[in-house]
Amino acid sequence: MDAPRLPSLFTLVELDTVDSTNAEARRRAEQGAEEAPEGTLVWAAEQTAGRGRRGRTWVSPKGNFYASIILRPDVPLRDAAQFGFVASLAVFDAIGSLAQPGTEAHTKWPNDVLISGRKVAGILLEAQGAASADAPPDFVIVGVGVNLRSFPEDVEFPATSMLDEGTTVLVPEFLESFGRHFLAWTRIWVDEGFERLRKNWLWRCDQVGKEVDVRLANETLTGTFKDLDDSGALILETSSGLRTITAGDVFFPQSRDA
Amino acid sequence: MARSPKATDIDADAVRKLASLLEETGLTEIEYTHDDWSLRVSKGATAVTATAPVAIAPAADAPAAEQGVPAGAVTSPMVGVVYTSPDPESADFVKEGDTVKEGDTLLLVEAMKVFNQITAPRAGTVKRVLVTSGTPVEFGEPLLILE
Repeated sequence: MDAPRLPSLFTLVELDTVDSTNAEARRRAEQGAEEAPEGTLVWAAEQTAGRGRRGRTWVSPKGNFYASIILRPDVPLRDAAQFGFVASLAVFDAIGSLAQPGTEAHTKWPNDVLISGRKVAGILLEAQGAASADAPPDFVIVGVGVNLRSFPEDVEFPATSMLDEGTTVLVPEFLESFGRHFLAWTRIWVDEGFERLRKNWLWRCDQVGKEVDVRLANETLTGTFKDLDDSGALILETSSGLRTITAGDVFFPQSRDA
Repeated sequence: MARSPKATDIDADAVRKLASLLEETGLTEIEYTHDDWSLRVSKGATAVTATAPVAIAPAADAPAAEQGVPAGAVTSPMVGVVYTSPDPESADFVKEGDTVKEGDTLLLVEAMKVFNQITAPRAGTVKRVLVTSGTPVEFGEPLLILE
């Protein structure tokens, strides 16, 4: 098969197997901008130690999509979280451009993508080297995993795959689509600001106005998903007032005890 | 900043009002349009744009905890949730009494699934860890004391 065609921003690093594309991207990024320029995209057919949030395992057999992009953005650290929304919208639109008509997809805070209410994609970002909120990080790594062919059964939040939702997607095909949409959403962010991303993200989310559970590290909150603030934080209306949440896992009441 | 013959007609009151609105609402930017002029006040940005009569007013963006930061404190560069270990099962990156080199990872701060490594700005000894893993931290909040 021909090499995937990506926009010229990207420098593709294609690997058969790797511990984790985020770990590999980090090792490369730490060697400096000459070795690993902005747009370096580490793509692996499988991961032996794929990671999710807080060290969780991301089950990573062949057939699914695993990639991490190295960015060296000239934006302050306080705005780095917005790349998660760029990536989330890019994954969503890549799925949307490949999926069967009628596929029901939504975003889930902060940057998961669901099909029929089940998780099909996850994103994990790492930033390093900013001395303050106003300083740009040395690099940001945007890691993306998408269940194209298979999904794990034994997970806290129910999962699915593109194949199980009725669409066969080859990994290089997804990579090409994701690359184009990532670039498109980056341009929209640069040209029009985060507000445009925020609105688009909310438009793709079906949990606004509904009751959700948010598991924090040390407690679980229940409340109504009100909005995203201008940094992308979740605004939850609880019985004791509004809470602004920057980190946590969202669950829907019907998935309680799932 | 664009030059304009009317640049001297800055409405300081309007700028002040917008700046205090920013603080009040927690927004980072406000644009106000009136007849043939508009005014945009934005916080944290170095460039402030305006059309027609030009005005500038980068509102103060004082770190939440700038007052009373103890000597040797490493502060949080962002709003988020702090973690003392790479994952819940692992040992803490550092504990009190550890010596660290410049660049060693001390903590993580997460916001919207972006994990930011807090590294030692200089070599030293960890005198105190001021935060509990998994709790929210503010911008500028002291996280640990490095001596």
